[in-house]
Amino acid sequence: MANHEIVRSKSWFWEWFNWSGSSSTMLRAAEKKILSCLRTAYRGWYVDIGPVVGTSDKIWTISLNEESPKTPIVLLHGLGAGVALWCLNLDALASYRPVYAIDILGFGRSSRPAFSNEAQEAESQLVRSIEEWRREMQLEKFVLLGHSMGGFLAASYSMQYPERIKHLILADPWGFPERPVERISRAPMWVKVIAYIMEPLNPLWPVRVAGPFGQWLIEKTRPDIVKKFSPVLKDDTAVISQYLHQCNAQTPSGESAFHAMMQHFGWAKNPIVRRMDKLSPEIPITLLYGSRSWVDNSSWETLKQARSSSYINVQAITGAGHHVYADKSEIFNKYVLEACNLSDSIPHLTVSDIRSNIKTINEQQISLILANEEVESKAVQEQELNTSQTRSS
Amino acid sequence: MNLSFAGCGFLGIYHVGVAVCFKKYAPHLLLDKISGASFGAIAACCLLCDLPLGEFTSNILRVAREARQRTLGPFSPSFNVQELLLESLQEHVPNDAHIRVSGKLHISLTRVYDGKNIIVSQFSSREDLLQALLASAFVPVFSGILPPRYHGIRYIDGGFSDNLPTLDENTITVSPFCGESDICPRDVSSQLFHVNLSNTSIELSRQNIYRFARILFPPNPEMLSNICKQGFDDALRFLHRNNLLNCTRCLAVQSTFVVSETLDDNMDYDPECLECKMHRQEALVSNLPETVMTIFQDAIDSANKGIINWLFKHRSVKLLSLLSLPCILPADVMYATFTNLIGNKIESYTLEYNIIGNILHTSPQMISCGRHNMTSSWFILNVPKLRRNLLELRTFFLDQLRMLFPKINIYYQQMPQTIKCELDITEYGSNIYDMEEAAKTDNLYKNKKNLNLTLQYNKLQPWKEHSSNTSNCVINMSNLSTVDDTFENILQVTSDQEAVMAYYYMDDNNKVQVTEIFDVTDSESHAMLSLDEIENNTKLQFDEWDEPTWLSQHTLNDAVTESLYTDANQQNLENLSEMSLEDDILGVLNISSDPESEWEISRNIQTRVSTPSNFQSEVN
Repeated sequence: MANHEIVRSKSWFWEWFNWSGSSSTMLRAAEKKILSCLRTAYRGWYVDIGPVVGTSDKIWTISLNEESPKTPIVLLHGLGAGVALWCLNLDALASYRPVYAIDILGFGRSSRPAFSNEAQEAESQLVRSIEEWRREMQLEKFVLLGHSMGGFLAASYSMQYPERIKHLILADPWGFPERPVERISRAPMWVKVIAYIMEPLNPLWPVRVAGPFGQWLIEKTRPDIVKKFSPVLKDDTAVISQYLHQCNAQTPSGESAFHAMMQHFGWAKNPIVRRMDKLSPEIPITLLYGSRSWVDNSSWETLKQARSSSYINVQAITGAGHHVYADKSEIFNKYVLEACNLSDSIPHLTVSDIRSNIKTINEQQISLILANEEVESKAVQEQELNTSQTRSS
Repeated sequence: MNLSFAGCGFLGIYHVGVAVCFKKYAPHLLLDKISGASFGAIAACCLLCDLPLGEFTSNILRVAREARQRTLGPFSPSFNVQELLLESLQEHVPNDAHIRVSGKLHISLTRVYDGKNIIVSQFSSREDLLQALLASAFVPVFSGILPPRYHGIRYIDGGFSDNLPTLDENTITVSPFCGESDICPRDVSSQLFHVNLSNTSIELSRQNIYRFARILFPPNPEMLSNICKQGFDDALRFLHRNNLLNCTRCLAVQSTFVVSETLDDNMDYDPECLECKMHRQEALVSNLPETVMTIFQDAIDSANKGIINWLFKHRSVKLLSLLSLPCILPADVMYATFTNLIGNKIESYTLEYNIIGNILHTSPQMISCGRHNMTSSWFILNVPKLRRNLLELRTFFLDQLRMLFPKINIYYQQMPQTIKCELDITEYGSNIYDMEEAAKTDNLYKNKKNLNLTLQYNKLQPWKEHSSNTSNCVINMSNLSTVDDTFENILQVTSDQEAVMAYYYMDDNNKVQVTEIFDVTDSESHAMLSLDEIENNTKLQFDEWDEPTWLSQHTLNDAVTESLYTDANQQNLENLSEMSLEDDILGVLNISSDPESEWEISRNIQTRVSTPSNFQSEVN
C-alpha cells in the first residue's frame, strides 16, 4: 500500500505549532488498528479523482471481496466519521458481494480541499466527487448505502445519477425534513445569545479548540460511541475516540461544506423532501432508522406517501439510536443484505414487492436466495452467517 | 421489560407525567425492575410504592417554590434541599416500602473515593432505603458540603457516573432531555448533534440547553406543569408506537414484542381489534388525571396571580432584592453555616457516642458523655429545631384561633394545600353584599355564582379569561387609600413568602375582584399589624366566609324544590350534588369542634334529600 501523504496548505504558524496534535500518520495507525478486527481481508488505497474541488483530489477507499461478481455496495459515512466505523458491518456485507467504503472528500483520510460556501454548490461538489470516484473505479451499477450526512449525499447522488443506483439504502439519513416554522420560542435571552454565537462556527469546533484534550473531550462527551464498538475491539476501545479525534482535528474542509449545506443547527438548506419528485421512481429505497434516534422521523411518512407508486421499505430498528449500523449491527446487516438480495433477484422492484405487504413470498424468496448462496460460498464464516440467517428468517 | 428514569433535578416532574401514563395505560410494564438515579430514583420509588402521584407532585412543587423564593434561588445557604427531601420522603414513603421495592428498585450511586458507579437494589429497612435515595440525590455544593453516608461509605448523586442505569437490553429509558432515549421530548430546533453525559444522551438543542440550566434552578410552576404534561404525552406516544397499550385481547402483543424484540414484532398486532382501538382513542384524548392537574393549577395560580407576585415580577423589585442581597447574604450564610455546623457536630457526636458505647459497653462512660452533651450543648442542640418550634407555635396559635372563631375552621378544612397557614383575606373593589342581593333576585345567576365559589379551589382555569384585566385591578388597589399602610406591612411580611392562593373573578359591574390570601401569622405574632387591623382582617374573614356557606345553604333549598319539577336543571343539580357532598364531608369533619353543629345536621339532611332527587331526574 503506497503511503500517500496528503499535502495541505498550512500557514507557517500552524506548521510550526501543532496545537491539536493531529497528523495523518496517527489517523492511519488508528484506522489500521480498528480494521484489524475484520475477519475478511481488505485493501485500502487512494483513488485519484483529479481536480474536482481542489487541484488534485484523492479519495481514501477500502474494499473487501472485490472478486465477487455480484453488484457491489458502496458505503458513505456520516459527519465526522470515516470508513473505520463500518467495522461492525463490513464482514457481514462482504461475505455476499464486493464492498467499497470511502472517506467522503473532505473527511477522514481523503484530501481536504476548500469547498464552496454555497449550499447548492457544496452539495454538487460532493456529489461530483463521488461520481468521479465511481468513474475511476469503473462501477456500472451499485447499491448505495449512506448514513446520516452520507444518506443525504446518497439521495442527492441518486437524483443526479439514477442510472447507477441499483438500490438506495438510507440509514437514519440527515437533511430530509423541512425545517418547521419556528413559533415564537420561549427560550430565554441567554440561550438565544449562545445559539447566535454558535451558529457561524463549524459544528465540531470544540474538538479542535480543545487541541490535545480533543480525544479526552470525545471520550467524555460520546462514551456511547466507544461503547458501541466494544464487542469487536474488546480491550482497546480508546482507539475509537482516537480515530474520531484524528478524523476531526484536521482542517475541517468537509465539515465546512456540511456547514454550508445546513442552517439553524442541523436543518438542511435544501432538504430532500422538497425535491423528492426529482428522485426517479425506478430506484428502490430502503430506509432504516433507530427507534431512539433524534432525527425527525415524521418525514419518513411523507416520503412513503410521496413514493407510493414505487418500492420504499421503511423499517424502524428497535433499541437503536442514530448510529443504527453500530447499535444493532446484526439486525442492520440483515436488513441491508435482504434489500440487496431483493434487488438482485427482482430487477425492477415495485410497490408490490414491499416486504410487509407480501411478507411470506418475500421470505421464501430470500431463503431461496440464501440457500443458493450457501452452495456458492466457500468460506466457513459465510456459511455460519447464512445458516443463522435462514434460521432467523 | 425494565424501566429506567434519568436523574434530572427539578425536571423530575417529567417522570411524574410518564409514571401517571404508565400507571393508567400500561400497568403491566411496571411489574419488572425500575432503575433510576437522583430524582429518577425517587420517582421510581414512588411508582413502586404506589404513592399517590398528586402528593408527589405537590411535594416537588413545594420544593421548587421554596427554592424560587430566595434571591439566590436554590443556592441560598439556608435552602436545604436534602432536608426538604427527607421531610417529604419521611412523610409519604410507607413503612413497608423497603420490602416492596427490594430487588425491584435499582438506585444508581456514585462512590466518592473512586468515582465508580454503584447500583443498590436491596434495602434492609425503610431508613436504609431513604438514605440511599438521599445519597443518590446529593449534588455537592448544591445540597451540602459533606456527602451523606450509606452503609458507612460516602456517596454522591448517581448522575455523576451513570445517570440512566440500564439493566439489560430491554430497558425503556426515560429522560426529560431530547436525545436517544425511548421516552423523551422531541425538539424540533436542532437536528445535529448530541452529547452523551454519563450515559444520558442529550441533544444540543436550544430547549435542552434551557432544560439543562433548569436542573438545579427550578422553573416556574407553569413550566413544570408543561414538562409534566410533556412526559405524559411522550409516554403515551411511546406506548402507542409500540402497540403496548394494554387491553385483554392484545396483551399477547406485548409478549411477542419482548421475545423477538426487534424484527417482526408488529406483525402480530391486530389493528382491527376494536377494544384496542378504543383504548387507544381514549388514551390519546385523555389528559393527566385530575388530582395532578389541580395541584398544578393551584401552584401556578399562587405563583402568578398574586398582587405581591405581580409586584415582584417587576424589574425594579427584582433589582431591589438583588441590591439588598449584600445585606441579607451574610446573615443567611451565618445562619446556614451555624445550623449546618451544629448539625454535623451533632451527627459526629452521636456517632462517637455510639462507637464508644459499642466498644466499651460501659454505662458510666456513656452517662458522662451524655451529661456532657446535655450541659454544654443544650443550646446548640436546640438551634436546628428552632424553625420547627416556630412552626409548632404557629399551629398552636391557630388552634387557639380556631376555638375562638369556629367559622375559620371551615375555611381551614376546605383547603388542604394551605393548611400550614393562617389566612387573611383582604378584599378590594365592590361590596360583597351587593352581589348577594343580586344573587337573591336571580336564581340561575345564583347557582352559577355558587358553583364558581366551590370550583375556585379546584379549577381556576375558567378565570383565566378574566385575568387579562389585571391592570384594572391594580388601579382599584391604588385608589383605596385605607389599604395602603396594611399593604406596606404585608409587603414586608411576605417578602419571602409567595401568596398561598389567589383568585380573580368578575362581578356584575365588570370590575375584577382580586382575592389574595397569604400567610400573616408571623406578622401578627410579631405585632406588625396594629390591633384594629387584625380585627379588620378577621372581620373580613367573616364576611368572606359567610358568603359561600350562606349561598350553599340557600341554593340547596332552592335547587331541591326546583328539581322536582324540571329536568332542565339537571346539569345544575349534578353540579350541586357534587358540591353538597363536599359540604357534607366538611360538615362531618367539623362536627366535633363546631358549636353550630345543629345547622350542620340540618344541612346533611338537605343533601340527603337532594341526591335521590338528582337520581330521579337522571332516570327521567
